[in-house]
Amino acid sequence: MAHKSPATRRYMRVHIALSILYVALVLLASRFVPDDAAPTPGVILWALLPGLVVLGWIWNMGTYLFALEDEYIRMLETRKALVATALVLGISGGWGLIELFADVPALPVFFIFPIWCLGLALGQLVNRLTGHRQACA
Amino acid sequence: MKNRLKVLRAERDWSQQDLAERLAVSRQSVNAIETGRYDPSLPLAFRIADVFGLPIEDIFQREV
Repeated sequence: MAHKSPATRRYMRVHIALSILYVALVLLASRFVPDDAAPTPGVILWALLPGLVVLGWIWNMGTYLFALEDEYIRMLETRKALVATALVLGISGGWGLIELFADVPALPVFFIFPIWCLGLALGQLVNRLTGHRQACA
Repeated sequence: MKNRLKVLRAERDWSQQDLAERLAVSRQSVNAIETGRYDPSLPLAFRIADVFGLPIEDIFQREV
């Protein structure tokens, strides 16, 4: 069975709690903010509430990296984050240039963070393909 | 960097998990070091040396 360190267990607990909060806040915002609402302070506040959870996710990931005592696992997690960053910079930079020169739809900034998270999964795959196996965090 | 971790572990009849627990790292870390996929930091190399009661240079050698 894969070893789960206390840092990994704590990370997962906080991540799940924040994810539930995120879904709840998005559902609440969808209920109380009408479609195409004017950007009033209230509407912006509702929109930013799930954004605070995104900050919480990022804080949790950073805390996890610092809390990991196993340097090999920390190296693998750092590699995953680098692959994710490379993916998001590659897509946003590449698509941004296409947007400059061609009449294509703009990539909503909202998708940057989900793409980065997708990059973490890609990073896990890169770790595996280069012979480094670890328990999923 | 080459190392004699596997031999030293076998001499003591320790599993990778046994050594991992003595070093307070994961079994994956021990496996990665043993198979040469990861070179440990100096502090971890010192811990490994302490666990086996040997100088670092008797465990880790340069690739020639």
